[in-house]
Amino acid sequence: MDKSTIICRCEEISLEEIVEVIANGARTFDDIKRLTRCGMGPCQSKICNCLVAGVIHEQTGMEFHQIPLPRMRMPISPIKLETLATNSTTFSSVKSVLDEVELEDGKVK
Amino acid sequence: MNAVETDVLIIGAGPAGLAAAFETASRGLQVTLVDESKSMGGQLVQQTQVLSSLPSIYQPMCGFELAAHLSRQLEDFEIRYLLGHRVIGFYKDGSVGITDEKNVFPLRAKKTIVATGASENAIAFPKWTLPGVMTIGAAQTLMNRNFVQPGKNAVIVGSSDFAMDVALQLSKVGVRIRGIVEKNTGVKANGTEKVEQVRKIGIPILLNSSIKEARGIGAVSEVDIQQGEDIWTEKVDLVCVDGGRSPILDIFYQLGCSFGHQEELGGWVPQYNNDFQTDCENVFLAGNAAGISTQGALLVTGMLAGINVCAALGAISKEAVEEGKQSLWKELESIETRSNLKVWQARNQHIEKFAHPVLKDQFIS
Ligand SMILES: Cc1cc2nc3c(=O)[nH]c(=O)nc-3n(C[C@H](O)[C@H](O)[C@H](O)COP(=O)(O)OP(=O)(O)OC[C@H]3O[C@@H](n4cnc5c(N)ncnc54)[C@H](O)[C@@H]3O)c2cc1C
Ligand code: FES
Repeated sequence: MDKSTIICRCEEISLEEIVEVIANGARTFDDIKRLTRCGMGPCQSKICNCLVAGVIHEQTGMEFHQIPLPRMRMPISPIKLETLATNSTTFSSVKSVLDEVELEDGKVK
Repeated sequence: MNAVETDVLIIGAGPAGLAAAFETASRGLQVTLVDESKSMGGQLVQQTQVLSSLPSIYQPMCGFELAAHLSRQLEDFEIRYLLGHRVIGFYKDGSVGITDEKNVFPLRAKKTIVATGASENAIAFPKWTLPGVMTIGAAQTLMNRNFVQPGKNAVIVGSSDFAMDVALQLSKVGVRIRGIVEKNTGVKANGTEKVEQVRKIGIPILLNSSIKEARGIGAVSEVDIQQGEDIWTEKVDLVCVDGGRSPILDIFYQLGCSFGHQEELGGWVPQYNNDFQTDCENVFLAGNAAGISTQGALLVTGMLAGINVCAALGAISKEAVEEGKQSLWKELESIETRSNLKVWQARNQHIEKFAHPVLKDQFIS
């Protein structure tokens, strides 16, 4: 691998960009995702996840079991908005989206 | 539209899901089987090699024959098939969202068996994203399922049993294999016969070597192979990479299951107990999703998940469950210790850690 080698093919993020954010303190897949868009493509990190874990391991010496999984949200694979917005009133809310931030009186705690 | 109800929801109609479907449907439970593919059999459909490590009740047969056998076995039962349907996630009330690509509808199951299989891991080198570079499984799918020859001149990266099988299959359809490139000092495959066959038909196995770079305009046309100090160029239009496989976890993650880490099972694996039950009481699992293993072992895990779900829903007597579990665990041990002892050991270690997962409560950060 050289520094121009692509790690996230969906978003065309190179090894160099990933190494740079790790040097700035990124330690998990989601850290890297927030800083570079790595993992935000159509495959939703199904392809780059293992490559990124490899880079974190090499750069920081962290063991693979110390590198957590990326967050996997609904929908787990791409779907047309038109399809997702089925005119049904029986659905309960989606599980993942708002559970990350805990709200108190409508504000983030 | 009200949520569709079912006793048992099985996600994935590969060998594990089909085996679980037989165990549950044959004991009178109402079973819904969903798979995004229009056909049943999962990854078995493109496997033309003879599977040697099947449970003792099976004759040796090829993957696609096993897929047909497992599907036929279900003909006598009333199963709700949702083929060509994708699971897109779960709602807060526990119902699952399923799409037929036109609509999404909710489904509620008393018990869910997740048998979503494994995905192949990528290997990165400069220009690995050029067309013509693909995973070894993609090459096998193109060749055996779509009847498309994926290239004329190939190199294969990785030397697992899977890579050896596909090398032989590619050669048979006229693809010239310039070499199997392995970064380690020894061949990874356990099946020494297969490796012999590969050597016999003149495919060079290059140890201590790797792809330094691929080149091409619009598609791969050559690769540089490095072995120690030597670097040379091979003209190829196909590069098959075998980076190993890992369980597909998105559905477990959405369900709130915990995970542990076992390198031999493919990395992160949902945490489960002796009954192939996750730490979410109503969620069971089977197949490669529970750790990468051989087809025979995957079938047994599907049967185990199936009878444990029957037990949880009171569809089988206590004695029958105990007897069934005991003999299936014996079978699993016999298959896995024969085909890959390390996988058997890792599976047991993983189960022992059931109460102490590495990753849990992923949705509450
Ligand atoms: C391309 C490929 C080729 C392979 N070839 C070989 C080989 O030659 N030799 C070998 O030993 N092993 C091979 N394997 C490994 C293979 O995974 C196992 O042999 C076996 O098929 C796994 O059985 P399973 O039941 O666990 O999963 P699978 O057979 O993978 O079945 C899982 C099923 O779940 C479905 N599914 C997954 N997610 C969803 C969702 N969200 N919604 C709906 N459906 C879903 C999939 O469509 C699939 O049909 C291959 C794997 C791949 C990916
Ligand atoms: S490869 Fe990174 S999101 Fe697809």
